[in-house]
Amino acid sequence: MAVLRRILNMSQTDNGAAARGFRLSSLEQVPVGRSASITDVPGVDELSLRLLEMGLTPGTGVTVVGTAPLGDPLEVEVRGYRLSLRRREAALVNVAP
Amino acid sequence: MSDGTPPAGRDAPLTVALVGNPNTGKSTLFTALAGIPTRIGNYPGVTVEEKIGRFRHAGRAVDLIDLPGAYSLRPQSPDEEVAVSVLHGRMRGVPAPDCVVVVVDATNLARNLFLASQVLDLGLPTVVALSLGDLAAEKGLAVDGEALARRLGCPVIPVVAPHGTGIAQLRDALLSAADGPPPSPPDLAAHLAPADAARPAAARDAIARYAWIDGVAADVVRRSARAGRSRSEAIDAVLTHRIWGTLVFVLVMLLLFTSIFRLAAPAMDLISAGMDAVAARVEASLPEGPLRSLLVDGVLAGVGGVVVFVPQIALLFLFIALLEGCGYLSRAAFLMDRLLVGAGLSGKSFIPLLSSFACAIPGIMAARTIENRRDRLLTILVAPLMSCSARLPVYLLLCGAFVPDVAVGLSWLRLPAVVLVAMYALGVVVAAAVALLLSRTVFRGPPQPFVMELPGWRWPQAAVVLERVREAAWSFLKNAGTLILAMSIVLWALGTYPRPVLPAGAELTAAEARGEALRQSFLGRAGRAIEPLVKPLGWDWRLGCAALASFPAREVVLGTLGVIYNLGDVDPGEEEGATMLVRRLKAATWDGSDRKVFSLPVALSIMVFFALCAQCASTLAVIGRETGSWVWPVVTFAYMTGLAWLGAFAIYQLGTALGW
Repeated sequence: MAVLRRILNMSQTDNGAAARGFRLSSLEQVPVGRSASITDVPGVDELSLRLLEMGLTPGTGVTVVGTAPLGDPLEVEVRGYRLSLRRREAALVNVAP
Repeated sequence: MSDGTPPAGRDAPLTVALVGNPNTGKSTLFTALAGIPTRIGNYPGVTVEEKIGRFRHAGRAVDLIDLPGAYSLRPQSPDEEVAVSVLHGRMRGVPAPDCVVVVVDATNLARNLFLASQVLDLGLPTVVALSLGDLAAEKGLAVDGEALARRLGCPVIPVVAPHGTGIAQLRDALLSAADGPPPSPPDLAAHLAPADAARPAAARDAIARYAWIDGVAADVVRRSARAGRSRSEAIDAVLTHRIWGTLVFVLVMLLLFTSIFRLAAPAMDLISAGMDAVAARVEASLPEGPLRSLLVDGVLAGVGGVVVFVPQIALLFLFIALLEGCGYLSRAAFLMDRLLVGAGLSGKSFIPLLSSFACAIPGIMAARTIENRRDRLLTILVAPLMSCSARLPVYLLLCGAFVPDVAVGLSWLRLPAVVLVAMYALGVVVAAAVALLLSRTVFRGPPQPFVMELPGWRWPQAAVVLERVREAAWSFLKNAGTLILAMSIVLWALGTYPRPVLPAGAELTAAEARGEALRQSFLGRAGRAIEPLVKPLGWDWRLGCAALASFPAREVVLGTLGVIYNLGDVDPGEEEGATMLVRRLKAATWDGSDRKVFSLPVALSIMVFFALCAQCASTLAVIGRETGSWVWPVVTFAYMTGLAWLGAFAIYQLGTALGW
């Protein structure tokens, strides 16, 4: 899984963000209370498409508001509304600080 | 409403489709526009609810179709497929809409405009109903309706549905829109990035659409500085907090559970007493015979058995509608998700499963709140494994009578109590295992998303809450009720015929005669016939017979045991009846020997069988109704009965081998 994510993130290096010196990571790694900017949801699976349709498009700001008592799922705020995402789903969203 | 003479050629009802994201106040708007729906059912072949209401405005009849909530018109769920089919006029039995009303939530404009802009692409006359403007103002957002109308090219009517504000204007707007030209679709071409050319069309479309939406939103949304956090965010901070949120959750669930368990009891007692009174009148006014027996023990018992579930269903749906209306239902699912994911379920399964400890019927109906079809089916299939309140008397009687009252480790921890808790735990563990197994085999597929909106906090709308309760109770009575009634009549016949041949000259007491009648009936004969099947469980044919008789409804088992052991009409629920029954059970011996039937392993085997078996015709009928297929009740019956037999066999053989 971690390897896969690294490969996914590597494919992003030509996107410009990494070249500008940002540390690329996924929404899953954003700590509670912190905000980030979505760089892309690069997957072509149904879930990634659904995330794009829910408004998690490149350039959108996202804040991790909290997590459920057992650490999963996450509660995030995006485009002014609250969304619940499991960690494996948040891992599909690439963000930059 | 202003009824006038309809102009010529306009007497055909106008078909208007109501679409919107979930949690936008769409149900409230439907009620405000059309009142109580004139038609509620399922779309052919899918378990998606069809809801149509009719109203008249300016002399024209309007059929309003409430489409299931959707985030996108690119269909991914059965709900969205239905919405798309209806909008394209491809749904069998539903006329193509003349006009579409899109509900747009002002607190969440961008994401709502995503669906609205897809509707504009359809080329149908469209009206936007801008809802929740009051909540948006609290968040410091103001949406300029006129500017939005200019950008979208269709009328935008601000509505506050609970107060009826804007409803008349909305009706006017949809009548005139239906006769006019459709708006032109939004121009996304300028926003399609060439760099995205290699991506799937849906991804390109979504990115371009949001770029277009950002432009629209910049024009129409005014933000004012807000004084600190909004009320909704303050509530949210407590209720999704790790400690406080969990505490509140436990309290809310405790309240929900005790209320369907206890608050419903007086109403259920009242219904039982009412049915008894009616039965007594029928008994008094009819001569003894097959007709009286059919009416009292078949029809009236069946009707009572149906109606008695209504208080629990109504109470549970009252709770669910209140929790849903204020936004807590998704929070509850959010809090419990991790726990249920391990079993292949999702957080939304929690309330249906919890309710099933009181009764599986409202629990299975509560699974309607799970949008994901796979999760919903899995939840429905395992819900009957939760030990419902009808199993409790069996556990209590057998634990009290046959489990030795010895301490387990600690002096206050008694073995009967441990066995009782173990029976409840058994149901939970088996349910988790079955759900996990099914999700890895039959229901294997791509991971089911839990991308779920956590809507803002708001007050539930009384009209929507009441409609939800009314609809749940009515659909149960109408659809499952008739089936349950029919089954109870068939089972009455099996337990009554053929009439017993009593030995000549034998003086039998009434209780003995009833016992003999049951033993000689089809049911009794079947009980004898299946003895080889139940012998490995440690049961004699009488127990097999009682178990068979309780397949329609497990709560009858103690009464059946009473009849089969010639006790007559004792009520095992009463102290005296229970002690009589226990004494008789303890004395029972195998036919033709003095070996006792009951022992600890036999008692355990009966309890395990009852814990796991699908002995409830009403549950199976409701599963059939809720899944829209007879396959699932058959599957449930088969797997639960199989597991029950295996479990009872294992515990009896183990107990016997260990010499318990």
